[in-house]
Amino acid sequence: MAYLSMGESHRRITDYLNRFADAINYQDGDSLARLFSVSSDSPSLLSLADALNVFQDANRLIKQSEKFSQFGEVVAPFFRSLQCYRLGNLVDAYGAFEKASNAFIQEFRNWESGWALEALYVIAYEIRVLAERADRELASNGKSPEKLKGAGSFLMKVFGVLAGSCDLQGKGPKRVGALYVTCQLFKIYFKLGTVNLCRSVIRSIETARIFDFEEFPIRDKVTYMYYTGRLEVLNENFPAADQKLSYALTHCCLSKEANIRMILKYLIPVKLSIGILPKKQLLENYDLVEYNNIVEALKRGDLRLLRSALQENEDQFLRSGVYLVLEKLELQVYQRLLKKIYIIQKQKDPSKAHQVKLEVIVKALKWLEIEMDLDEVECIVAILIYKNLMKGYFAHKSKVVVLSKQDPFPKLNGKPVAS
Amino acid sequence: FVLFLASRNIRSPTPAAIPNYKKSPIRRSKSRWEPLPEVKMLDKPVSASNETGKFGSWDKRVIMLNSSRFPNGVNLIYDNSLSSFRFSASQQKTPSKSAQRPMKRQRIVNGAGLTNNDDDASSDGDKDQSLTAYYSGAMALADNPEEKKRRESRSKRFERGQGHRPDINYFKPKNAGPANLYTKRASALMLSKSFDDSANQAVEDIDWDALTVKGTCQEIEKRFLRLTSAPDPSTVRPEDVLEKALLMVQNSQKNYLYKCDQLKSIRQDLTVQRIRNQLTVKVYETHARLAMEVGDLAEFNQCQSQLQILYSEGIEGCLMEFAAYNLLCVILHSNNKRDLLTSMSRLTQEAKEDGAVKHALAVRAAVTSGNYVAFFKLYKSAPNLNTCLMDLYVKKMRYQAAVCMSKSYRPTVPISYISQILGFSNATAEGNGEKVLTGLDECLEWLKAHGASLITDNTGEMQLDAKASSSTLFMPEPEDAVAHGDSSLAVNDFLARTS
Repeated sequence: MAYLSMGESHRRITDYLNRFADAINYQDGDSLARLFSVSSDSPSLLSLADALNVFQDANRLIKQSEKFSQFGEVVAPFFRSLQCYRLGNLVDAYGAFEKASNAFIQEFRNWESGWALEALYVIAYEIRVLAERADRELASNGKSPEKLKGAGSFLMKVFGVLAGSCDLQGKGPKRVGALYVTCQLFKIYFKLGTVNLCRSVIRSIETARIFDFEEFPIRDKVTYMYYTGRLEVLNENFPAADQKLSYALTHCCLSKEANIRMILKYLIPVKLSIGILPKKQLLENYDLVEYNNIVEALKRGDLRLLRSALQENEDQFLRSGVYLVLEKLELQVYQRLLKKIYIIQKQKDPSKAHQVKLEVIVKALKWLEIEMDLDEVECIVAILIYKNLMKGYFAHKSKVVVLSKQDPFPKLNGKPVAS
Repeated sequence: FVLFLASRNIRSPTPAAIPNYKKSPIRRSKSRWEPLPEVKMLDKPVSASNETGKFGSWDKRVIMLNSSRFPNGVNLIYDNSLSSFRFSASQQKTPSKSAQRPMKRQRIVNGAGLTNNDDDASSDGDKDQSLTAYYSGAMALADNPEEKKRRESRSKRFERGQGHRPDINYFKPKNAGPANLYTKRASALMLSKSFDDSANQAVEDIDWDALTVKGTCQEIEKRFLRLTSAPDPSTVRPEDVLEKALLMVQNSQKNYLYKCDQLKSIRQDLTVQRIRNQLTVKVYETHARLAMEVGDLAEFNQCQSQLQILYSEGIEGCLMEFAAYNLLCVILHSNNKRDLLTSMSRLTQEAKEDGAVKHALAVRAAVTSGNYVAFFKLYKSAPNLNTCLMDLYVKKMRYQAAVCMSKSYRPTVPISYISQILGFSNATAEGNGEKVLTGLDECLEWLKAHGASLITDNTGEMQLDAKASSSTLFMPEPEDAVAHGDSSLAVNDFLARTS
């Protein structure tokens, strides 16, 4: 590193302080926002950090002038945070940043209008990212990572501030910021695995009178629908999941391919569960080839292929949480297989086609290298009828499936299999 | 609309300000009904006086709403919008010797049973392997059924007053012996144990670092006396004696309550002396198995969580056997898909190839798809104590099967067939003819109790009338249902307690 003189350091710090004070005094939200983005590693902030580490006594500078000292509670810990960040001490960087953010929120509450929302967004983002990094540091030192959990608590507070910010008319311009903070919270809870905590914040957004969903920025709405859609997938609530994820998909900017891919990753299993298959081209365009064999298995009624596809990508599917959803597709695969048998029989002898012997099904499964005894196949047949994937009945004595002459294999038509 | 984050208290480190209701009780080291401990110097003998040692003392604990024991820094917050209490981790970590949970201090390393997980759940696609493995490990421990039960019962203490019905599922132990007053009280004791926190807050949770002793007692048999302060070395047994004690318990012919008591005592002696080795594992495994056999799920879960910690420290034991139990518990008890996915993804390749684990996974698949034939086949071939865990799901599965068959079969299904595939045959050593008859009878009883429509065909064989049954089948109320919904506060039991 080139030698940094005291004079130059002094200049950089004062320069930042001036920009900070000006941004607030002129209500320049964008400029203020830029001044907080620690993790962006912007050259200006990094050079400021260097200056702080050389100068070492920034507090004196802050106190020197009234223009700066009025924001001392925010800036002083922020400087500390930046210094620690630069030195690679993420845990302290987070701690100081949280302190600065706390002080910022106090100021923010008193400001009219939402001019500083951009800055608030940056702070919310930074809180999460710095906490994640701090936790990584803690874990690597064998300590328990609790900063992200703390970040979650802090953001809940911020949420409260935004939600509670109403003027006499009952409409607060700061309210629109709540969805962004909500999305940051979702990211935290998903990362921590405590997705049940999402519930209370979702309730606030969706039932509170003060929030009008349409007023929120589109970017936040897409993210929100993505996460709530994922929660519906976890709960296997497919119609709701379909609605939310589809909303996210249609409103997501086409150029954001990574985001579209993420949405599709969850939307595809949902669509499969309601009987809608994606085109191969789509899977290839968005690099979701793990679903290729599953789609193929559904088309062919190939149980063996489905099982092998599930096993091959087991880890991935378990992590993303779609494994159980995909596994449930087995019944649809059975249905397809039976339908094929029916079609073949129909070609041979239309008058007898609607009666399918159990032993024929066992044989077909054997060809797929799946060994199942009569009892088990009988059970599967019973389940298929029970769940309306087949119309008809099973005659136990003769071990024959008697299919309805009309529409024996009803399509799902956008509805999930009855549970 | 009042958000549970009141705006006034932004400056406080805790995330919530509680409006009109009681503030969360300050974390107490002990039940408020017991005198606060004085941490004595080790050279002064301490008499553990609060326990009478009689089984009769448990009734106090059942009635009292006590024990505000929370794990590190958890606050109870009344959430107006949800009309219930929520737990939220607070920032404060007031130094307190007593309420430190040892598991928090343990480092969860990638030991037995944990895999390096690339948790894709983060939308930013962070490849953050060991950290998320830690989170899922810590979360799993924090969210294990035992911890959840504690939280549930703690939060439900308040709900009860407001007319909420707790729906904690208490498991009655299988009473093999005569239904006398002793066993009745014993079952109530079992229920109260899962009910009451301070009894369940195991000995393991007290901070023993400061109080470690080296025992000198030579008694092989020793009653469990809960210690709440520094123990007297002459009452604590050294390791070699404890080994003998364990052996004694394993070979004993006495009943579960006796063994449970002895084992708790052994566990306490081990904890006090900070002995964490294969003996410790064996003790917990023994206790867990015994608890499982009688259906004492609370005790089982407690042992399970301790075992997971011990295994993760690299201590040898029957990892696979208990991994299978773990899996079965998640599948059959909680409907929590996320927990299930986490447990499944944390299985190592080695685990997945183990027979017991494979069996548990197969059970899971059967339950998820409703495949009753597979379920009862697996029931017959279950290794270790997997049957005990499956037992808790058998009723549900049979009912599902009956409903399914009523819809799909026409016109009838032979009862003999149903009896066979729904696992009704008894595994007795009697002659062939006798065995089948008993199973059939049981099946008939069961079907009748669930409203099935039965007919006899022209060959004299009993059949299920499928079409008729589809509208007459029902799931009966559980036998121990009580008007106010809380079976452990049943009036009859209350009056039966005479001490």
